[in-house]
Amino acid sequence: MTYLPLWFIPLFPLIGTILLGTIAVVSSGAKKGPSEGLVGTLAVLFPALSFAVVAILACTMPEAGIRETLCNWIDIPLFRADIGFLFDGLSRIMLLFVTGIGSLIAMYSIGYMHGDRGFARFFAYINLFLFSMIVLVLADSLLLTFLGWEGVGLCSYLLIGFWNQDIKNCKAANKAFIVNRVGDVGFLLGMLTLVTIGGSSILNYDGLAAFIKMIFGADMVSEVVIPLSLAGILIFIGCTGKSAQIPLLTWLPDAMAGPTPVSALIHAATMVTSGVYLLARLGLMFSMLDYVLLAITFVGMFTALWAAIAGLLQNDIKKVLAYSTISQLGYMFMAAGVCAFDASIFHVFTHAFFKAALFLGAGAVIHSLAGEQDMRRMGGMINKTPVTACVMIFAFLAIVGFPGFAGFWSKDLILERIFVSGPIVGPLVYVVGLATAVITAVYMGRLIIMTFFGKYRGSKESEEHIHEAPAVMLIPMVILAFGAIFSGYLWADSIGITFFRDSMASVVGPAQALYASTNAVSHVNPVIFAALGTVAALAGMFIAWKVFIRARIIGVKGASTVPEGSAASWTFLWDYIHCAFIAGVNILAWFCDVVVEKVLQAIQWTLAAIVEILGDGASVLQVRKVRLQLAFSIAGVALLVMLVVFSGGLV
Amino acid sequence: MELQAMYIQILALVIFAIGIIVAISRRNLFFVLMGVELALNAVNLSFVGFAKTLPAEASVTGQIVPLFSIAVAAAEACVGFAMVIMIFRNKESVDADSYSDMKG
Amino acid sequence: MLLHLLVIAPFVAAILMVLNSREDSSASSRMAILMGAAFTAMSVALIVTGNQATTPMEWFHIPGTRGPVYYYLYAHGLGTWMVFLSCGLSLVALISARCTTGKDYRNFAIGIFALMGAMNGTFLAADAVLFFFFFEAMVIPAAILIAGFGGEKRTTAAMTFAIYTLVGSAPMMVALWYLLTIADNFLLLSMAVAIQSLPPYQQDLVLLSFLLAFVVKTPIFPFHGWQAITYSEAPAPLSAILTGAMSKAGVFGFIAWVLPIFPMNLNYISGLMWLGLLTAVYGALMALRATDGKRLLAYSSMSHLGFAVAGVFSLSEAMLPAVLVLLVAHGISAGVQYFLMGVAERMTGTRNITEMGGLSGKNPVFSFLFGTAGVMALAVPGTAGFVGEFTVLLSLWDLGPLPALVGGFCLILSATYVLRFIQKVIFGMPAREYQEGTRTTALEGVSFGTMLALLLAFGLHPAFVTNSLHLFDEVATEETATELVEEVAEPAEEHLMTAEELRELDSTLAASGFSEEERKALLTQIQSIEKVDSVEVQDSTEVQDSAVVQEPAVETDSAAAQVETPAVETEKTEASENE
Repeated sequence: MTYLPLWFIPLFPLIGTILLGTIAVVSSGAKKGPSEGLVGTLAVLFPALSFAVVAILACTMPEAGIRETLCNWIDIPLFRADIGFLFDGLSRIMLLFVTGIGSLIAMYSIGYMHGDRGFARFFAYINLFLFSMIVLVLADSLLLTFLGWEGVGLCSYLLIGFWNQDIKNCKAANKAFIVNRVGDVGFLLGMLTLVTIGGSSILNYDGLAAFIKMIFGADMVSEVVIPLSLAGILIFIGCTGKSAQIPLLTWLPDAMAGPTPVSALIHAATMVTSGVYLLARLGLMFSMLDYVLLAITFVGMFTALWAAIAGLLQNDIKKVLAYSTISQLGYMFMAAGVCAFDASIFHVFTHAFFKAALFLGAGAVIHSLAGEQDMRRMGGMINKTPVTACVMIFAFLAIVGFPGFAGFWSKDLILERIFVSGPIVGPLVYVVGLATAVITAVYMGRLIIMTFFGKYRGSKESEEHIHEAPAVMLIPMVILAFGAIFSGYLWADSIGITFFRDSMASVVGPAQALYASTNAVSHVNPVIFAALGTVAALAGMFIAWKVFIRARIIGVKGASTVPEGSAASWTFLWDYIHCAFIAGVNILAWFCDVVVEKVLQAIQWTLAAIVEILGDGASVLQVRKVRLQLAFSIAGVALLVMLVVFSGGLV
Repeated sequence: MELQAMYIQILALVIFAIGIIVAISRRNLFFVLMGVELALNAVNLSFVGFAKTLPAEASVTGQIVPLFSIAVAAAEACVGFAMVIMIFRNKESVDADSYSDMKG
Repeated sequence: MLLHLLVIAPFVAAILMVLNSREDSSASSRMAILMGAAFTAMSVALIVTGNQATTPMEWFHIPGTRGPVYYYLYAHGLGTWMVFLSCGLSLVALISARCTTGKDYRNFAIGIFALMGAMNGTFLAADAVLFFFFFEAMVIPAAILIAGFGGEKRTTAAMTFAIYTLVGSAPMMVALWYLLTIADNFLLLSMAVAIQSLPPYQQDLVLLSFLLAFVVKTPIFPFHGWQAITYSEAPAPLSAILTGAMSKAGVFGFIAWVLPIFPMNLNYISGLMWLGLLTAVYGALMALRATDGKRLLAYSSMSHLGFAVAGVFSLSEAMLPAVLVLLVAHGISAGVQYFLMGVAERMTGTRNITEMGGLSGKNPVFSFLFGTAGVMALAVPGTAGFVGEFTVLLSLWDLGPLPALVGGFCLILSATYVLRFIQKVIFGMPAREYQEGTRTTALEGVSFGTMLALLLAFGLHPAFVTNSLHLFDEVATEETATELVEEVAEPAEEHLMTAEELRELDSTLAASGFSEEERKALLTQIQSIEKVDSVEVQDSTEVQDSAVVQEPAVETDSAAAQVETPAVETEKTEASENE
């Protein structure tokens, strides 16, 4: 059976990028921008086409997946890499929601970006992002994944700094790129470690699997486990950068400087989950490395807890959602840390829906308030923007894990898997995870209450302008809200639906079987976890209701949405730590510039001065009388001749 | 009595020395040039004088070289005088010692 | 023929430019750009046609030496690409300079052509004296151009540049001269043989003086004093050539001259590798603090080249293609960045990046190019820079994790300074009011765009670049491989010859001359003679190898290189006798 060629999937957004980029560059000189209808159509058409291809392939795909090698990329001694694509259970799920949500958000952006001078440029970036993301997910080797990996980082940089007239946005963009770059270097070095262990073929995912099989076959596990652990740690550093985990998480809250659809697409639904995707993709390797897995679990746990607490202290609606994203990503990493890759990808999947819905809702709120992001100046919006409010409330119920909604199925699944994973660590992490779930419900409840309930706290004149978002924005939101409600039913363990797990079993199954074989897995009735999760969600919502519905929130005048006092130091803890590193580099640079460079210049000057002094000395002999010089030269010749004659010739 | 080659050389040496002394000691540029010419001619004389000591067929070489050097000297004199005149126009002086603008 | 054209014709072009009127810059610019395009086309043709060599011609004879100096050019993968860089960047420089130099365009073009000819000569010379001649000759037109067209402190810059680089290569001249008194001629092989007959401390001395010349030219850390001021004061198109093509002469010298001549004496290998890494970090740190845009680019270029030198002295198997790709990528991307910086300087009237800003609103096309060039300089995967840096990192990782970690640190720093540079120049609001100068012209835009497209193409398919390093076709490789197995059994001592025989053979070899066609003919001839045993056939392929590109000395371990070199020459002589 022949399938559609895989390269069709990234091809469409690439064409879109080129077309829209050309339009953007060509029209940039003109007074009026290009027609928004045309640009918008193109911008949605290409991701949608790509989604269609993915959907067709997803239905016709055989169990083992489709592999396709396009051409050779690098071929030098010691190293060889091909450009090839791999479409299997894992990349199918990822691609479906990447292209699907990507198309929806592109559509939403037509309304959101209406009237912006960089309309075409924005969609060119979005298409480029989708291209990179598709390459990241579809690649069959780590190197090609890395191409997408840096590509999405680049697009994230471009889109965060989209409104580049404001230098603050540019700084946030730079921060995102540089922090990501730190992670990327980890990824790069991790790949190099792998190449030293098993040659360049190991970078291919199939090659890696074959290599690990070979190790088990030859019984050499103990010999390679240390270098493999090094590689695992380095690649995990890459994942912490991209997925905003401790310690490289500071860029994500700042990344909210970009347009809101970007935050929804890149910084909530797709790009930031690529770290989780990579862990699942390399699951077989990670399942061998117990200590690395432990590190992943704990990093995920601390990130989830810390970001949830930081989320409590934010005033900016988008920053609350940013911290919430970090916290949810922490859950996914916790799951990956106990080798529950299917559960973690499931959470990626559901999270993409409800978090995108939340962000789009927040975007609609911001849009209707003409750019206001401070929750202290919102309130009572439920009367004015009912559809947005409904979408956000459904998504809220999904994220806190209210029974029946998407988050309920995925989050409880993760907690269950964590609990049963081991005797001591499992319950410990489980307790923290459950506590985090309570906090999640609290800060999300705070967001909903501050935004939609109570009285409007902004200025009177702005109140009159509040309006519901246009249909082009509402339709994607509603679709995503449906996703937030029902996507969880793809894998509802308690009621016996395991469709999602089965579809991924061929990819992550071996890894999880390997992990299960070395770690005793006890079995507990899933209903207990569901009940505990529900209690946590309800408790959190109750606390939020009690605390925030009555609390008088002071409407503030200042523009800053930054938390104050001790809240700020709690939120910016990791920023402070990064600042220490930056200060170190700056001091080093200062030392080079001011000390080393000056010393080198001094040495040069000294040498030059010595030469000059010698030259001055020699020039004394140059008498300023032509005749005398002539006499000197004749005398010199005579001297030479005499020397030659009396010494008996030259030779 | 035939002219001894030695005497020719002595004469050439004397003329050469006079030429050099004139070139060095006179301040007038024209005299300096004349001194140089004198020295050059002394060398020519020396050539011819030595050529005389050789057998006929070889001596031709020695007589041709002065012809060349006379031609070169003529050209050199032309250029030299032209330069002197140019300098004179700029400086209003033919004093060699006043030409010391080249700094070390 | 192509080689002769590439080296001699630029000088002819420079003379032809004199014919143009000094006043009419548009006529002279048309002529210059046409000729520049012709040279670029020739360099592309050189890449396409592959490795070739001219017939050696006796040039002159230095008294006191044992053989003549040859006018002998040959192209191998590395030099070919460097020639491409020099021609291509010169063409774009000629295009870009139209808006800045004004009436003096003719003189500028003369200088550029002279510089191009000298650079091509450097990268194509097969004779050490010829190489050195061109190596020094490069400095003169460059210095004159800086003095004539540079910024405020142009005379200081020109003097610093000329004196620093000329003094740096002076010891090399002495060393070369000394080598010439003991070697039969100045081709690579005989020099490599000759160096072995010296006592060790003398070998080290000669090596050091060679290294100094290239270290200054590259430049490597303590010897970079000339670079920042030269690049920042030179007119931007010239800076682009200087950093994109000329600074490559240093790295080229390491690969094409130092490694093959001194395969046994590289006790300084790891030292130089670390020095290269130090340069990379140092340059990046300096770039972080620079406020002058061109100075920033100068330090970034220093950082990249330090990285390349570290790659060279990692001496891994992947070194040559890795460094080649890195050099080509850096040449193009640093070149286009300099050109764009020149445009920015032209538009805003300042080089200080803190006084720029907001260009993205004023001139979107320029900002698009500028941003893209910056991103390509970041070595984002898919661009040539990534392939180069990744493979160099791979070579460094071969030596151990620490060098690779330092390399990784450089990557982070490079992201930092490039992003700061982009942000200061094109983003934000303009920092001050200014009279806006000439914008990017269409021709400029197209040429910069082409360069960026080349970077992308080389990034996605680096075989364009690395294939030129493939020395022989697949069949020959296979034959060699089978013969190699038999050769291992042979005791190596059999191939050793006495020094006298060697010299004799070598002179015959030199006199016979070995162009591409000849060598192929010889190869088949040898193989047809049945009494030639398999070992010699093996060696004859090696002849091809070592004559075309000087890797064998680098790649095979040094002991083998010593053994093989004499054997190579035996074979060659036999072959020429057969003719």
